[in-house]
Amino acid sequence: MADESPKPTTPVPRTSRPLSEALLNEKWDRCLSSFLIRSGLGLSFGVVFSVLLFKRRAWPAFIGLGFGAGRAWEECDNSFKRASASSTDGIRVIRP
Amino acid sequence: MLRASILRARPALRPIAPAVRPQWRVAQRFYADEKKVDNTTIPNPAPSTSPPNPITPASDTIPASDLPKPPPAPETARPASTAQPSTTPPTGPGTASVAADPQLAKPKPKKRRFRRFLTYLVILSSLGYAGGVWYSLVSDNFHDFFTEYIPFGEDAVGYFEEREFRKRFPGRAGQPRLHPQITGENKVTIPGKSGLSSKIAQDGNTDLAIKGPHVSAVDAHSLQPAQETESSKVGSDKGVQEKRAEDGQKEKPTESTSHELLPKSTTNSELETGVPASTPAKPISQIDHLNVPEAGEPVVQDVVKIVNDIITAINADSSHGNKYDSALEKAKSDLGKVVSDINLLKESLQKSAEKEIKEAHSQFDSAAKELISRWEVQLHDQDAHWKEEYENERERLSKTYRDKLQAELDAAHQVYEQRLKNELLEQSIALQQKFASSVRDRVEAEREGRLGKLNELSSSVQELEKLTAEWNSVIERNLKTQHLVVAVEAVKSALENQLTPKPFITELAALKEIAADDPVVSAAIASINPVAYQRGIPNASQLIDRFRRVAQEVRKAALLPEDAGVASHIASLAMSKVLFKKSGLAIGQDVEAVLARTEVLLEEGDLDAAAREMNGLQGWAKVLSRDWLSEARRVLEVKQALDVIATEARLQSLLVD
Repeated sequence: MADESPKPTTPVPRTSRPLSEALLNEKWDRCLSSFLIRSGLGLSFGVVFSVLLFKRRAWPAFIGLGFGAGRAWEECDNSFKRASASSTDGIRVIRP
Repeated sequence: MLRASILRARPALRPIAPAVRPQWRVAQRFYADEKKVDNTTIPNPAPSTSPPNPITPASDTIPASDLPKPPPAPETARPASTAQPSTTPPTGPGTASVAADPQLAKPKPKKRRFRRFLTYLVILSSLGYAGGVWYSLVSDNFHDFFTEYIPFGEDAVGYFEEREFRKRFPGRAGQPRLHPQITGENKVTIPGKSGLSSKIAQDGNTDLAIKGPHVSAVDAHSLQPAQETESSKVGSDKGVQEKRAEDGQKEKPTESTSHELLPKSTTNSELETGVPASTPAKPISQIDHLNVPEAGEPVVQDVVKIVNDIITAINADSSHGNKYDSALEKAKSDLGKVVSDINLLKESLQKSAEKEIKEAHSQFDSAAKELISRWEVQLHDQDAHWKEEYENERERLSKTYRDKLQAELDAAHQVYEQRLKNELLEQSIALQQKFASSVRDRVEAEREGRLGKLNELSSSVQELEKLTAEWNSVIERNLKTQHLVVAVEAVKSALENQLTPKPFITELAALKEIAADDPVVSAAIASINPVAYQRGIPNASQLIDRFRRVAQEVRKAALLPEDAGVASHIASLAMSKVLFKKSGLAIGQDVEAVLARTEVLLEEGDLDAAAREMNGLQGWAKVLSRDWLSEARRVLEVKQALDVIATEARLQSLLVD
């Protein structure tokens, strides 16, 4: 009884963790934003290169766009894959 | 030190700052002046010519400066003299006049060379003199040397000092400081013999060893009188001797035994001296004359004997003839007469003595009588006195003894009374004690009787109290159980009637407080997850609402494979839209079926089974429904705990009776 009383007072850490049902949606949001940003960056790099080096050809711009989109895709894919398995962030891994 | 350093620095300063120089020198001279003046004045007074000397340089300076310059007047001298400091011009001429006189006599014989040599000499000497004067102003040592050994040096130096002094003290310019030397006033000469002077002691008479008035005042007076007394003594001695001789001749019979024999011997010696001269001539020897009959007295006998001795001596000496016969005869007759006188005197004396003795006897008798009478009176007095004293003493003693006795008696009486009082007190105390003890005994006995009854009463009261206490406990327990039930109901109602999950920690605390020492209740409360009562738990409807939201999400991820990438996710998302929904208690382990079953179970209110169903999901579906599952579990825990507490309360209420 007496040892029970301190229990309620122990503060439960309020997790800033998102609700489990909103987990996938969040991932999708992040993926889309990164896709936009990276593809935009790649496109701009490609445009710059095309203007500077390649006599305003179109292909360097597309290549840049592809690079950016590919990077975003890869990243997103990785995040989805990792999320299914229980996250190992902050857990120490002891190698045999 | 400082001054010396300043002096060293001065020659260097001189050409650079001539205006500063006089100040420096004045300061320096001011210190050295007094001493130098004293030093210079001492040698001076001896020559009487010194007073005119100071005048000569002063008066000479003007003509002397004119004098030397015209005769040699070489161009070389000019620049040298002008090059010299301002102090030189007056001195140079002064020396030149002195030095020129003896040397001017020489130039006559040799013309050119000698003149040149002379000029050089003059210039050099003047320069030297000027330098000496200057250096004497600088250095004290050199000043002393210069003034003492160089002729007119002192005057020159004195002149410059005076000038500086005037410059420094223009107010006192009127009276020169060194006026006795310079102005030549008449000197006050003190004669050589005046004042104290040492003198060698001249003669030994004045030597202190000799007695004099300085040794003692008595001797001086006594010396002359002593000489006088000596001389007078001799005279008086002689006179005395003569007198005694006369006495011895005249007053022999009156001499008593107390008289010294010396005068007699002297008389005898004188007689001897006188006698031997006459006796030797006597050819016939005289027969001894004996004054036996009268010579009772030893003195007379001695005298007779002496005379006889003389006579025998004279008789022995025959050379003198009978010169002393007559004298001897006369002496004999005188002696006889003296003897008779003595006898006569003796008799008279005897008579007078007898008379005196008689008188004395009578006197003694009277005195004795008087003495005796006085003695008796004294005795009587003493006796009376003693008696009185004795009486007094006896009285005193008796009085003291009586006092003592009285005091002792008093003391004894007091002691006795005190003892009596003490005994009385003791008796009274004993009586009081006895009384008190008897009273106490009575009281105790009385009390014992009463107390017996009181004890019975109190025991009965205690029994009653016990009974009431038992009843009280029963009632208390009842109340407690009632409270418990109420508290449980309150918690339940709070959980049911909430719109959003609220913390029910206060209700739980109240419940715990009511069931203070109930182990079952406390265990049940402990089993609840702290998160549940801190954040609150949703009620059934809220739980179902949330489940529907979760189910949508889960359905989206229903078709995902094990390790899904982006493409598979997109595919699942697309395909889930076109999926057919299951409803009711569907059969199968796929996600859609599980969701349908769970919904049905929830709607039925079987939360436990619903949770179990949801727990059977796999992969992404489980991940997505994890939060809802934990919430459901918490709700279940709380429900279970509350059920336990309610049953416990019921049990308690049942156990009371």
